[in-house]
Amino acid sequence: MQIRLRLAALIAASALEVIVLVNQKTTTAAGPQMMTPGKATSVSTPVPGALSIPDTTLAINSSTPMSQRVVHYEIDAKYDAAKHTVDATEVLTYHNVTGQALDHFPLHLYQNAFQPKSTWVREAKIEGSRDIAYDKWDEKKYGSEDIKNLEVVGQGDLTGQMQYIASDDGNKDDKTVVDLHLPKPIPSGAYVQFRIAFQTKLPETQARSGWKRDFVLGGQWFPKVGVWWHGAWNCHQYHATTEFFADFGVYDVKLTVPQDEVVGASGVQVEENNNPDNTKTVTYHGDDIHDFAWTASPRYKVRESVYQAQMGPIKLRFMMQPAHWNQAERHERITRQTLDHFESWYGPYPYKTLTVVDPEPDSAAGGMEYPTFITGDSSWFMPSGVYLPELVVEHEFGHQYWYGMVATNEFEDAWLDEGINSYTEVKVLDSILGKNTSILNIAGITLSEREAQRLGYLTAADLDAMAQKAYEYYSFSSYGGVTYGKTASALLTLEGIVGEDTMAKVMRAYFMKYRFTHPTKEDFLKTIEEVSGRDLRWYFSQAVYGTQVMDYEVLKIDSFPVHWYEPNKDRNAKGDTVFQSYVSLHRKQDFVMPLEVEIKFDNGEKIREHWDGQSRWTRFSYQKRARVVSAEIDPDHTVQLDSNNFNNSYTVEPDAKPAHKVANYWLFLTQCLSQALGWWAV
Amino acid sequence: MNKDEGLLSSGLGMVLRNKRYIVWFYVLNIFLGLFGTVVFVNQVGSILDHSLQSDRLLHGFSLGTLIEMFSRPEFGPTVASRAPAMFFALLFLVATAMFLPGVLQGYASTYRLPRDDFFRTCGRNLWRFIRLMMVAGIVMGIAASALFGLHGVLERKAAESTNELLLPEVRIVGLFLIFLVMATLRIWFDLAEVDIVLNDQRAVGKSIAAGFRHTFRSLGRLLGSYLVATIGAAFVLSVGLFLWMKSVAPESVVGALLISQLTLLLLLIPRFWQRGVAVSYWQQHMMIPVVPAEPIEPQPVPAMVSDGSRVIPNSPLPTAES
Repeated sequence: MQIRLRLAALIAASALEVIVLVNQKTTTAAGPQMMTPGKATSVSTPVPGALSIPDTTLAINSSTPMSQRVVHYEIDAKYDAAKHTVDATEVLTYHNVTGQALDHFPLHLYQNAFQPKSTWVREAKIEGSRDIAYDKWDEKKYGSEDIKNLEVVGQGDLTGQMQYIASDDGNKDDKTVVDLHLPKPIPSGAYVQFRIAFQTKLPETQARSGWKRDFVLGGQWFPKVGVWWHGAWNCHQYHATTEFFADFGVYDVKLTVPQDEVVGASGVQVEENNNPDNTKTVTYHGDDIHDFAWTASPRYKVRESVYQAQMGPIKLRFMMQPAHWNQAERHERITRQTLDHFESWYGPYPYKTLTVVDPEPDSAAGGMEYPTFITGDSSWFMPSGVYLPELVVEHEFGHQYWYGMVATNEFEDAWLDEGINSYTEVKVLDSILGKNTSILNIAGITLSEREAQRLGYLTAADLDAMAQKAYEYYSFSSYGGVTYGKTASALLTLEGIVGEDTMAKVMRAYFMKYRFTHPTKEDFLKTIEEVSGRDLRWYFSQAVYGTQVMDYEVLKIDSFPVHWYEPNKDRNAKGDTVFQSYVSLHRKQDFVMPLEVEIKFDNGEKIREHWDGQSRWTRFSYQKRARVVSAEIDPDHTVQLDSNNFNNSYTVEPDAKPAHKVANYWLFLTQCLSQALGWWAV
Repeated sequence: MNKDEGLLSSGLGMVLRNKRYIVWFYVLNIFLGLFGTVVFVNQVGSILDHSLQSDRLLHGFSLGTLIEMFSRPEFGPTVASRAPAMFFALLFLVATAMFLPGVLQGYASTYRLPRDDFFRTCGRNLWRFIRLMMVAGIVMGIAASALFGLHGVLERKAAESTNELLLPEVRIVGLFLIFLVMATLRIWFDLAEVDIVLNDQRAVGKSIAAGFRHTFRSLGRLLGSYLVATIGAAFVLSVGLFLWMKSVAPESVVGALLISQLTLLLLLIPRFWQRGVAVSYWQQHMMIPVVPAEPIEPQPVPAMVSDGSRVIPNSPLPTAES
């Protein structure tokens, strides 16, 4: 309901602004470079000749736009497969909904990150990167993004007005953000149109963009305007640990590529024409998206099908590597199962397409999300019990919700997209593949997604807080461990506090309320409190805003006869003697949390105790005709944030079987090594 | 020995006639392995023995729990458990080198080799074997380095291909070829070992030369025999692991121990089989034949005649005319 009201207000405001703009005569507005393909389904007709953002709905299963559309990108690009360059013209129409006049516009030039002196590479060398170590980096593998010409409609050629800025770190050699000052400010409510000619040289794949062999993934490849957010431009430099942030809008993109290329992209394909020069031009249209990515390779094998979603049919397209063709069915199955879960648990997927790309092997292009377009990750050898393709496809699809529609600021609040997505990934994969087997289930060896997330968190438990700018993490591994692992573990722990059903309602409420907007961390946290009806600041201050580490342990168990001083031969007899027992618990670290403890006695009795966890230690005492045999903190295993699961329980009698079982593996390996040496060396 | 007897059958016959050697080496293997595992058991026990969390390792095998266990500070540095394992593995190698001459002598014997003879053979050949191992180590090290280097180059080239399967194909074929070359070298030095022991050859170089000549003279036969034994080892390992996974309950420590140790015991056989093949080959082709001596006809004692002239037996006595 709220969405409908907002849309009605938006349409009314848009019409008013168009009239204002025409009256101002500040522009000689040209129409779109190309036919807008969604006219047949548009809900209103813009004033001819005036600037506007199209209200097309060709790419969504909705008769009205679903977002506040701020930008309209019309890009005509030609890809040179030999040089890995894109020469393009871009017409960017921007709607000033900031409520104030704007006299400058920052633009992201992301591909300039892949230069030796850029902030991205500088950080990657210090903090680590998922791609390469830059020990040896050939110049022909660099990336770049150059604006050849920039004209603002009505204000002329402003190419010379552009200035590179580096507001995050002051690196003068970083060219990932360019700021453009306009001679004439754009009034509130007005539109402005930029006509940009640029050339992008894609790098050998880095950060899920670029080429590898004859494959190419065009991600973050065109000049992109920043986001006016909380009264200022939000346009960060590209950092080794950051992703992206952009406004919703409409994309009309023409891609000209060699004719033998199989192409996929965000949005819906509108047309495809062969050109006389042995190229072809494929046209795409996207509605209510905030980015546009594409891929091409002459070797893709394509599988297509239709998924009937809540709002209408979705065309599923799987672009597989030839050697992975036998895994296409696996990709489709997990995509459908994930869609089932997300639509059922969180809300509808409104887009008409979803393209799942199986990227070039050994490229840094796997595991990436773009609107309606994701990349998976697989290999020619993928046993059925190894769920890597499932994990990656599920995760990246999840980003269609947590990034694609709930479009949080990935520069500043990476945990809101990666972390929330990792949490829902645990939930969905638990449901599909089993709680203990959602990553690996082969030869009796198991690994679950929740275990993996927790292990990731443990690698950097106390270094950084979740609520921290992504580029201010200590290292890449700390960024990964906290943003993904800690967030997932913290939300799973929160689920134990508020209850699984309540948490499910929280996630649905959060999605439905904030889809197609840019919520903040407090929007999310307040939603949790509102839906659960609980004050959870004590938890958020530690788990989200703090770096506290949790570690509770069963410190000691004592049981002895109450009348220990009386000589009695039978006092140890079971059931006859009254025992005084003590169970001592210890808070080893600084994270404070109330806990359940389960104490078991040798007569089979179990007692559950509650401890607020505030003091450094506590002790429970019992007088019973039974001894305590064990105590376990968090017996339901809901606390994922505890940094040591082994000391959460203590059994009075040791059980050497687990250690012996593990040691038997070690013995086997040691003997195998001995025999192998004996085989080859003598 | 029958020259036409198959190497595999005769080699296997030697192994079966001398099963005690397999048992001895197995006992050595498990004892040294146990020594190499003591530190690990203590490290693991300090974390698992009193924790209910360890149940995730006992009933099933949670990789996440295992990784968390290794990452605990109480576990200590992994080198603390790896170093003893490596040390005792090397000790097993040294023991193999020490006792192998006795094994080879035993295989060649048509009777049960007395213990004194076994150890005497070991002692007599120890220094020869050390020298041989040094040469073998140099040769095989150089060969392995060169082959793996070449393999790496081929892999990098294959990785540039747009055919994804080319890389694993090159990798597998390359590793198989490396295995063949290294197996050939192993045959060479195995024959040299046998020659040193059975020929009581002090000049190790001569045995190495003989081993080299014969390796390439009968390469197909020898390599084929070695390959069969290797396939046998792969089969034993595969079946053992399969049974371990499928027939042993996760919480059955004794069952796991039995099946794993049985696998390791059987896994020793193929290598001893190869040594039996080498001994058999040596006996068929490298042994210096003992030429039967011709019966010595008694020589008549030269007789002297009174005039001082010699009388040649069986010759007519000198006459006055002569």
